[in-house]
Amino acid sequence: MEIRDRVLVVEDDKRINSFYKTVLEANNYDVLLAQTGTEAYSMITSQCPDVVILDLGLPDMDGMKILKSVREWSSMPVIVVSARTHEKDKVAALDLGADDYITKPFGTSELLARIRTAIRHTRSSLVNQNGAPAGVFVSGGLTIDYDKHRVFVDGKDAGLTQNEYKIVSLLGKYAGKVMTYDYIIKEIWGPNMKNDNRILRVNMANIRRKIEKNPAEPEYIFTEVGVGYRIVEPD
Amino acid sequence: MIKNSLTTIGILLFAAGVCLVIDGFAEADTHVPLIFVLAVVMVSRFTDGYAYGILASMIAVVGVNYVFTYPYFEINFSLMGYPLTFVVMLGVACMVSALTTQIKNQEQIKLEVEKEKMRGNLLRAVSHDIRTPLTSIMGSASVLIENSGDISEEKKQELARDIQSEAQWLIQIVENLLSITRIDNGDGETKINKQEELLEEIVGSAVLKFKKRFPEMKVLVEMPEELVIVPMDGILIEQVLVNLLENAAIHGKYTTEILIKVLEEEVQVRVSVEDNGAGIKEPVLPRIFEGRLHSEDGAESDSKRNMGIGLSVCKTIIKAHKGNMKAENKAEGGAKFTFWLPK
Repeated sequence: MEIRDRVLVVEDDKRINSFYKTVLEANNYDVLLAQTGTEAYSMITSQCPDVVILDLGLPDMDGMKILKSVREWSSMPVIVVSARTHEKDKVAALDLGADDYITKPFGTSELLARIRTAIRHTRSSLVNQNGAPAGVFVSGGLTIDYDKHRVFVDGKDAGLTQNEYKIVSLLGKYAGKVMTYDYIIKEIWGPNMKNDNRILRVNMANIRRKIEKNPAEPEYIFTEVGVGYRIVEPD
Repeated sequence: MIKNSLTTIGILLFAAGVCLVIDGFAEADTHVPLIFVLAVVMVSRFTDGYAYGILASMIAVVGVNYVFTYPYFEINFSLMGYPLTFVVMLGVACMVSALTTQIKNQEQIKLEVEKEKMRGNLLRAVSHDIRTPLTSIMGSASVLIENSGDISEEKKQELARDIQSEAQWLIQIVENLLSITRIDNGDGETKINKQEELLEEIVGSAVLKFKKRFPEMKVLVEMPEELVIVPMDGILIEQVLVNLLENAAIHGKYTTEILIKVLEEEVQVRVSVEDNGAGIKEPVLPRIFEGRLHSEDGAESDSKRNMGIGLSVCKTIIKAHKGNMKAENKAEGGAKFTFWLPK
C-alpha cells in the first residue's frame, strides 16, 4: 500500500473545509481537519502531520500563536492561509517560521503547488555538514553550482560577485519559498546591518541584469511586492 | 495650537523687523501702523479662528505704541489719534478673521460634498460591477444543480468555468476596493505609505499576476537599462498596472499584444501601457476615469463588465502619489494609458 502524505487543515469554515478535503483527497493526500486552535494543537502533537495548512483567523485563538508554539519544538512545514491582504501580516508569519503563505481566495493549482513545495523542502537535504547547500540547483537555463560558488545561465558563467552569489544561493536553498527582505539582509550582511532595503534592491537589480533576459520580465527570481523574493523551483 | 502661535509670533516679529529696517532711513513713522495692519491681516489669514488675529492686533497696538512712537519705549496712549488706531486694527483683525474662517468652512464643506459624491459614485459603480458577475454565478450554479440531468458534460464544464471566471472578476473588484482603503483610512485623509521601490520589480510582479489570468496574452516591457527607483506604495502601483493590463485584455476586445514602457524624465517617471486592441470610444474618453461609464451614456458602453471602478481606482492611486494620469487612442489603433509618478 502506498504511503500517503498527511495534511492537517486548520480552518473553521465548514464549506472551505469540505473543499480542502475534496481537493486533497483527489490528489492522494490524507486529510485531517481541525476547526479550532485547541483542536489543531492537539492534532499537531498527536498525529504529526506532514504538512499543516493553518488559517490565521480562528475563532478561539490567533493562528500566529499556534505557529509560534509549533516552531518551539518542530520544523514541520506550515503553510499559512490568510484573508488579510496586508503584506505586513505575511512578513510577520514568514518571520515567525511559516514555510509559505497563501492568500484567500486561491485556486486549487496554487494550493497544491504550495503543499508540494513545502513537503519537498523537508525531504530534500541538499545540505552538507556546515548547513550550506551542496551539489547543483538546476531550473531551466539557470544553474547554481554550490560547490564551485558559481551561477551559470545557459551554460555561461553569470559573473556574480561574492554577495550576489550569496543571495542567489540563499534563495536557491529555499527554492519556491518567499524569503523576506529582512531575512535576506540579516543572512548576507549580518544582524547589525541596519534595516535598509536599498542595498538589497540594488544587488538584486544587478543579479537580474546578469541572469535574466529582461529584468522587468524575470524568469528565475520573482518579487513579491512588499514581502521579499522567491526563486523558481528546480526542475 | 503651537503652529498658530508660532505663525503669529513669526509674522509680528517680521513686521517689527521691517519697521526697524525702514526706520533706519525714513524720517516719518507713518509706515509703522500700516505695516502692522498688514501683519494683523496676515495673522488672521494664516491662523485658525479669531483669537490669534485679535491677539495680534492688541500686541501690535501696544507694541507700536511702546517701540515705534514717541516717547520711545514707553506706553503712552494719550497720544493723539491712538485710540482710533487701536479700534481700526481691532476691527480689521476681526473682519479678516471672520472672512477667512468663513471661507475655510466653506472649503471644508465643499470638500466633504465632493468626497460624498465620490463615495456615492464608487458605490454605484461597485454595485453595478458586482451584480453582473453575481447574476451569472447564480444562474450557472442553478442550472448545474437543477438541470444537471439534461445537459451535456461539456456544457457543465463550460458553466463551471464561467463561475470561476466571474469569481475571478469579483476578486479583482475586491482587490480594488482594498486598495482604496489603503489610501483612505477612514479619517478622510489621503495618505500613502511611500517607500523607495525598484520600478522593474513592480512591473515584473504585475506582469506575472496578469499572466496567471491571461497566459495567452503577449506582454512586452521596455525599460531604461539603469535602475529606476521611485518612492511609492508598491502594492498600489502594482494594482494600477494590473488594472491597466486587464483592462487592455478585456476591453481591447481583440488585443493580442500589450506594451509597457517606462521612461525616466527629469522630475518624474513616465509609465505607459498600450495595446493593439479596439481602443476607447471617443465619447467615453473624456470621462473614462470617473467610474460610471454605463447608465448615462445611453448605450451600454462596450460590455456590462466595465472597467469603471478599475480606472477610477487607478486615478485615485496615482493622484494620491501626486502624479498624473492620461488616456488616449493611438493613431495606429488601440488604447494607451499613461501615468507619471514624481521622483
